[in-house]
Amino acid sequence: MIPVRYNLRSLIVRKATTVATSLGIALVVFVLAASMMLVSGIERTLGATGRADTAIVLRKGSDAELNSIIDVQKVGLVAAAPGVATAGGAALVAGEVVVVATMQKLGADGVTNVLIRGVTERSASLRGALTVVDGRAPAPGADEVMIGRQIRGRFPGVDLGQSFELKKNRPVKVVGVFSDGRSSHESEVWGDLDLVRSSFGRAGMVSSVRARLTSREAFDAFRQSVEGDKNLGFEALRETEFLEKQSEGLRAFVTALGSTIAFFFSVGAMIGAMITMYASIANRQREIGTLRALGFPRWQILASFLIESVSLALLGGFVGAGAATALRLVSFSMMNFSTWSEMVFTFEPTPGILLGAVVFAGVMGLVGGFFPALRAARTSPVVAMKG
Amino acid sequence: MNVQIDVRKVVKSFERGGQTLRVLDALDLQIAEGAFDALMGPSGSGKSTLLNLIAGLDKPTSGEVLVAGASLGALSEAALATWRSRTLGFIFQSYNLIPVLTALENVELPLLLTNLSASERKQRSRTALRIVGLEERMGHLPRMLSGGQEQRVAIARAIVNDPTIIVADEPTGDLDRESADDILTLLQKLNAELGKTILMVTHDPMAAERATTVHRLNKGRLA
Ligand SMILES: Nc1ncnc2c1ncn2[C@@H]1O[C@H](COP(=O)(O)OP(=O)(O)OP(=O)(O)O)[C@@H](O)[C@H]1O
Ligand SMILES: [Mg+2]
Repeated sequence: MIPVRYNLRSLIVRKATTVATSLGIALVVFVLAASMMLVSGIERTLGATGRADTAIVLRKGSDAELNSIIDVQKVGLVAAAPGVATAGGAALVAGEVVVVATMQKLGADGVTNVLIRGVTERSASLRGALTVVDGRAPAPGADEVMIGRQIRGRFPGVDLGQSFELKKNRPVKVVGVFSDGRSSHESEVWGDLDLVRSSFGRAGMVSSVRARLTSREAFDAFRQSVEGDKNLGFEALRETEFLEKQSEGLRAFVTALGSTIAFFFSVGAMIGAMITMYASIANRQREIGTLRALGFPRWQILASFLIESVSLALLGGFVGAGAATALRLVSFSMMNFSTWSEMVFTFEPTPGILLGAVVFAGVMGLVGGFFPALRAARTSPVVAMKG
Repeated sequence: MNVQIDVRKVVKSFERGGQTLRVLDALDLQIAEGAFDALMGPSGSGKSTLLNLIAGLDKPTSGEVLVAGASLGALSEAALATWRSRTLGFIFQSYNLIPVLTALENVELPLLLTNLSASERKQRSRTALRIVGLEERMGHLPRMLSGGQEQRVAIARAIVNDPTIIVADEPTGDLDRESADDILTLLQKLNAELGKTILMVTHDPMAAERATTVHRLNKGRLA
């Protein structure tokens, strides 16, 4: 075989074009990896903390808590359904109300929606991972709230010890900051159920009812019972299922956007690699002819130049994937279509994504380098003899 | 005498702009095993064309080329490549070293087509460089060497696979007198001591003087 160092050194000798071409490929890999990392971040934010043994009950036909309305009187019916777990004689059930409030962004122009959740004492315990990381939980009945750690300091007054207006003339004090395994709750404001309901004119209503079941298997019976009474108009979902649905639209959007951009960029980058390889091979006609004269068969020449273009692409792939991992340090807020409110997402690099992006770069090198390599392989050995 | 290169009634023509240019015209040439022959003739007389046919780089329009027992016309492209790698050593006018490979790596190239182990390849390449007197330069890239040294590395590459025949197209064409004389002395040594059959195309009468036989080509025929 023609030694790989021949190809690598040839790339090094042509520093400027090598760098330019591989940067084009790096850009594609960056975009591709970033969008896949974002999708995995979205999955993490919108789905990871769901539990299969927790059910969420909404009004039938409403896909999200925001447009679901349930009469507070009926929460008791959910609590009485079969399969609901109890603690100290009380059912582990929480009726919650979810509304959006408009807030002024700090350090940026414009306003955005923030999700406000009115909760009961049970709410926190129904989430497996929820912990107050700073301050304390709000006292029931008081004009106090706690905030998810992702929105801390993002809006005026939304920080520990400060106050902001939940609604006009309804100031509330931030007494705690909580985390919840990086779920979407971390972008919410949590207050007492009555406080939120009265502030937003939702008296006598909740948006959803969460229920902890005795086991995963208990869900089917629970659901039958809850959905069985058509007059109630309830729809029961496993929390895992519900969260997956919530993220569906956003995931699809980011995937489509990311892969569309990556596709067009990759066509450009492959053409770039092809032009580079054609030029480089044209400059090395005599070298290639000499290798042919010395007896190297065509397929070895083909393989050698494919290795060269794949190496060129992999260089870009590593740079792009490396740059994409730096996004781990970036978190940014984006509209979540299922709640129409701002949610903070992070990029989640996984070994699979990074490996996939680098492999994609290699494939670009293979495709872009194929025709140039074929031309090289067809070089006549007679070329070596030309003075 | 054992004929090693046997060119029989070879015609080679090129199509150019709708016209057929007959470069070699029913040419016959025999070269004995162990000979050191030179091929001379005016520019455009077909010297390189003939050398390419003998070296199996190109195929004749008609006629037969027998080299070291092989009928080249009968071999496939791939078989021809293998045959070249085992039978021939090449020396080019412009040395044709791979610029990104060191002297040793350049010399090693033909051995990459054999089954030899890496250490055996290194060993043989060093021996070849020692024969041309450049063992201490084995780590150098071609651009760090003088023209004469580059050509000596090329000669080491041409002999490393122990070929029976060495073909050289104007091996001293790009060199000054002194370096040219060194190269010619080296070729004579390879011929006399290692028994290589050498066919050398040259314009230089002093180079031709070193050969045992000089063939003169004119308008596609031997004079
Ligand atoms: N591939 C080709 N296509 C067309 N014409 C060719 C080709 N190769 C060689 N020729 C022509 O054949 C003739 C002989 O060429 P060749 O290279 O064999 O000459 P030469 O004797 O080696 O000359 P020089 O001393 O200048 O190297 C020239 O007229 C040349 O233009
Ligand atoms: Mg010539």
